[in-house]
Amino acid sequence: MSAAPTTYDVLMDTLSDIGERTDAGMGCLEHEPAVWESRMQATCEALSSHGVLDNLERRLAEDRLGESVYARFPVQTRSTLVVTHLLMDQKVFTEEELRKRIEVVRDRFAEE
Amino acid sequence: MSTRHDGHGHGEAPGEFQIATKVSEFEILELAVRELAIEKGLFSAEDHRKFAEWADGIGPHGGSKLVAKAWVDPEFKQRLLADGTKACLEVGIDWLQPTGSGTPSDYTFFYVLENTPKLHNVIVCTLCSCYPRPVLGMSPDWYRTPNYRRRMVRRPREVLAEFGLHLPEDVELRVHDSNQKSRFMVMPMRPEGTEGWSEKQLAEIVTRDTMIGVALPAPNRKSDTKTETLVSGGRRR
Repeated sequence: MSAAPTTYDVLMDTLSDIGERTDAGMGCLEHEPAVWESRMQATCEALSSHGVLDNLERRLAEDRLGESVYARFPVQTRSTLVVTHLLMDQKVFTEEELRKRIEVVRDRFAEE
Repeated sequence: MSTRHDGHGHGEAPGEFQIATKVSEFEILELAVRELAIEKGLFSAEDHRKFAEWADGIGPHGGSKLVAKAWVDPEFKQRLLADGTKACLEVGIDWLQPTGSGTPSDYTFFYVLENTPKLHNVIVCTLCSCYPRPVLGMSPDWYRTPNYRRRMVRRPREVLAEFGLHLPEDVELRVHDSNQKSRFMVMPMRPEGTEGWSEKQLAEIVTRDTMIGVALPAPNRKSDTKTETLVSGGRRR
């Protein structure tokens, strides 16, 4: 039996911003993709092309974690959450490093 | 694509900018992760820019153009059905972009599936969510859900009915399961009432959903339904 996946508070905290997805059925409401979704897809392609995180491996993880840890999150957030999750699992960066960087980015946005 | 480049419209005067809306936590998270990845040397900013520009340029308009051209040009249609990847070049879609060998998940064999009065095609990816992005752009949310992927291969007529597509029993239904090296796109039948239309007019009714196979084109239908939520079991709310 495989171990339960790690959970990262820094990612779980974003649920309050995006809102819980209550429909577990097929049709999460369609939406126009936001720019950050497209940019995250570019990150996925860049990671895969450099052999850091293969696209298929990521998609399978999106299913696995999307139906467990991130089951309450809307589908369009899964790539971002899971890529971040896997990079922290791989120790590419720590949760603390990510928190600090988030604050730096947030401050930058606030200044603009 | 709805990206506006001219900076005005919706009442804005030239040179004015819209007031920024609240920055979402996901916008911040995406940028934070990207910056860390670049700092750690996982990829370069230039790598990212290349993929981002490519992603911004793709969309269902590519597939619409292919289908509309095939509807008015029988010889092109034959070329498209024979070698989809090669025929795409005729409308400016190069599956080898943006790297010269495609993206890690898009350099594949591309097949166009022709609908007929007795055959309806629909696409899915049961393994993950493979999708013909160079011709259709980003996949819709529902296409990526396990619900669609699992049920489409088991109860396709039921799922199509949930999309509002009720096929007669005598129409054969083929579900094409994409895989790592094969991508599919449906070529719907040209609807009645479009005689004499230009390619541009025809392309407007070839929507994304008609090329996935969950809808049929119609002269008065220029966009896919976006306002209803489909829930498991076919109820609408």
